[in-house]
Amino acid sequence: MSMRTLLLVGSRLVQVVPVLVLATLAIFGLLQLVPGDPAAVIAGETATAERIAQIRQMLGLDLPVWQQYLHWLSGAVRGDLSTSLITGVPVLEEVLRRLPNTLLIVFMALALSVAIGVPLGILAATNVDGRIDRLVTSTASLGVAVPNFWMGMILVGFFALGLGWFPTTGAASLTQEPLRALHHATLPACALALSGIAEITRQLRSALIDVLSSQYVRTLHAKGLPQSKILWRHGLKNVSLTLLTVVGLVFNRTLGATVAIEAVFAIPGTGSLVVASATNKDFPVVQGVVFVLVLIVIACNLLIDLLYAALDPRMSRR
Amino acid sequence: MLTRRQALAGLGGAAIVGFSRLPMAGEALAQAPAKGGVLRVAAPFNPSTLDPITGGLGSDHMLLYPLFDTLVDFEPQTLAPKPGLATSWDFPDPKTLTFTLREGVRFHDGEPMDAQAVKAHIDRARTDPRSAVRGELQSIEAVEVLAPNKVALKLSRPDTALPLIMADRAGMITSPKAVAERGRQFDRESVGTGPFKLERWNDNDTVVMVRNPDYWNKGLPHLDGLTFRIITDVNTALRSVIAGENHFVFRLNPQQKLVADRMAGKVVVSSTPTIADYHLLFNYKRTPLNDVRVRQAVNWALDRDGFNRAALMGLGVPAQTMLPPGYWAHDPSVDGFYKHDPDKARALLKEAGFANGVDLRFYGYSDQASQQRHEIIIEQLRQSGIRCAMTVGSSADMYQRFTVQGEGDMLLALWSGRPDPSQPFALVYGENGFNNVGKVPPPPEMAQAQIDSQSAVDAETRKKAFAKLERLSLEHALSGELAFVPGIEAYSPNVVGYVPNLLGKPKLNTLSLKA
Repeated sequence: MSMRTLLLVGSRLVQVVPVLVLATLAIFGLLQLVPGDPAAVIAGETATAERIAQIRQMLGLDLPVWQQYLHWLSGAVRGDLSTSLITGVPVLEEVLRRLPNTLLIVFMALALSVAIGVPLGILAATNVDGRIDRLVTSTASLGVAVPNFWMGMILVGFFALGLGWFPTTGAASLTQEPLRALHHATLPACALALSGIAEITRQLRSALIDVLSSQYVRTLHAKGLPQSKILWRHGLKNVSLTLLTVVGLVFNRTLGATVAIEAVFAIPGTGSLVVASATNKDFPVVQGVVFVLVLIVIACNLLIDLLYAALDPRMSRR
Repeated sequence: MLTRRQALAGLGGAAIVGFSRLPMAGEALAQAPAKGGVLRVAAPFNPSTLDPITGGLGSDHMLLYPLFDTLVDFEPQTLAPKPGLATSWDFPDPKTLTFTLREGVRFHDGEPMDAQAVKAHIDRARTDPRSAVRGELQSIEAVEVLAPNKVALKLSRPDTALPLIMADRAGMITSPKAVAERGRQFDRESVGTGPFKLERWNDNDTVVMVRNPDYWNKGLPHLDGLTFRIITDVNTALRSVIAGENHFVFRLNPQQKLVADRMAGKVVVSSTPTIADYHLLFNYKRTPLNDVRVRQAVNWALDRDGFNRAALMGLGVPAQTMLPPGYWAHDPSVDGFYKHDPDKARALLKEAGFANGVDLRFYGYSDQASQQRHEIIIEQLRQSGIRCAMTVGSSADMYQRFTVQGEGDMLLALWSGRPDPSQPFALVYGENGFNNVGKVPPPPEMAQAQIDSQSAVDAETRKKAFAKLERLSLEHALSGELAFVPGIEAYSPNVVGYVPNLLGKPKLNTLSLKA
């Protein structure tokens, strides 16, 4: 690993701190704007004002908002993500228990997006304005437009309820029952992959068209290189950076999209956790999920940057 | 499928309970229920706690019933009391209630369920600052152990509502030893005497219960276990049952019944009336609802049939009071007390000095189904010159803002029903009633009828008191009752022995699975 790579990693790690603080601060602020009181949720249907006040005090909700945030932050810095206001369960434990379910569908969706999006993009780019190209681009537009949760319901209706090929809900542990886990993850991953496939197809198509119509490709043609060699050797190599960028974006977006998909498929992941906690204004849990997801996104971006450097020597020479 | 009419017929009296479910009963008689299997249930909410005393959600009951037996049980379709952990009870004098306990019953931790345990439990329920049922047990002054199987409740005033209160949360007897040992953790690791033991609870995910092999009622449970999967989206929950992944789903909404009905063969749908109803709670401490004529105008302006058709697909039952038609304590002569009459509503408003109509601050919940209900009500009231300014938020928050902080004039809420009919009147209209937001004392004759309803032991005298309470609450228009909601459940065809109850909170203790 070169000095430059080390510097890149180092600067990224330094960036993590302000990003985390800003992200959690923003979420904390938004939660304050939402009406609702976790103390009222805990106190139940027939609570008195005294009882609610007592719970607020117990949970520290009577402190000024900035103190609540600082209190949470000082814990988080030391690796203590606090406990849920509603259930009292340690947040980190809860997030880590659920994270594998979410990551499984995200990575599966990402794999599907690449496996389907890349060939489609190449197909479209090598048949510009042909019938195949028009079919692929219009389908891709549709893929961007269709909401993934709706697609999820359609998939369930057809493949789970109709044909009975896949389960409609739930998740299994990848380490304990790998086959069952993949079986459960297939439909949600397909629903999630839809926009990813479309995005990759469109971006790859336009990038590849750019490259294939550039002057050096014309030279290659003139040199007498066969079309396939031009495409595989020169074309794809040059769009790999675009592809990498898009994949990174798709990953981050897919991670966010799990919120709706996990509700449709009743997957006990971080998306459904954040929804349940936000409704109860259980801010330590929401903060905890955001904290962990931000870390994952930053790690993903860092990985992409490192791959950039590996793929494009200019990056590390700069 | 059990129809509304069949179930209503069953409400007439304990004597004919079961006839409406004759096919199923016959089936059960023909062959003994199969043993074994784990019933998977889609539950719409994560429980608030699994300690019956500290929890506060109406949807917790479905998870509490398998873990805890109640001191007093109830007939599913009439809510008439019947023996539970207490084999009998008695009022030797109006201010003493004694329970004779079933012998040989043990908690899941092996401790005996005896008079000492019951005393410890009731004392915790009525004094613990975290107790959610303290309000229902205010009449108890002391609990005395008379014998190992006999306890006496010493009361500060006559309270015949107590036996059925003991059929609810307060009567779900918890192990005093486990309570002492586990402290707050008892919320999540509770110990009762029920047919199932708690194995584990993963928040917003699963609650796993296993068979209690030492259950006192020999032959029960039929199942090896119960697994509740928390699925907050009801459509997803229904799909999971249609696909055969779960066996049972409850609290479906009327729109989903249509979906489930189309899946005949894959699911069995049960829709029965319950004592839960949608009502408009009023804050009548201040203007404009402090004027009885304005409250009456709201009641005349409501089209209850229209509400039932539009919001509940006609599966509910229009309501006048909090007691449903056909229920033992309900007086049929109040049926049709308020009919839809916008002219009468306008005339009353004019009389009250609101010739140009009146403005109300209407509070409600933000979920989609609630918003639909609000729109129906706003439009109905608008036609009589009652204009609503709507504020919505999460249910816990809005309920608290309306009842505790006294915001808003009117709240649309679901009254989830109580086993004893004196409870709704005390909790909603009583001077210290939780839903009497302004804490305005009820009219004196109503307060008297409330006392009568709780001091008489015989059903006839109690019925007279309830008739009076119903009529007075209507005359004074203390709330706007809209419609009783149907309890809609869907289950796999191999689930045997399900009996819906009038409380609308399914008990799964006696279910079995056909092989």
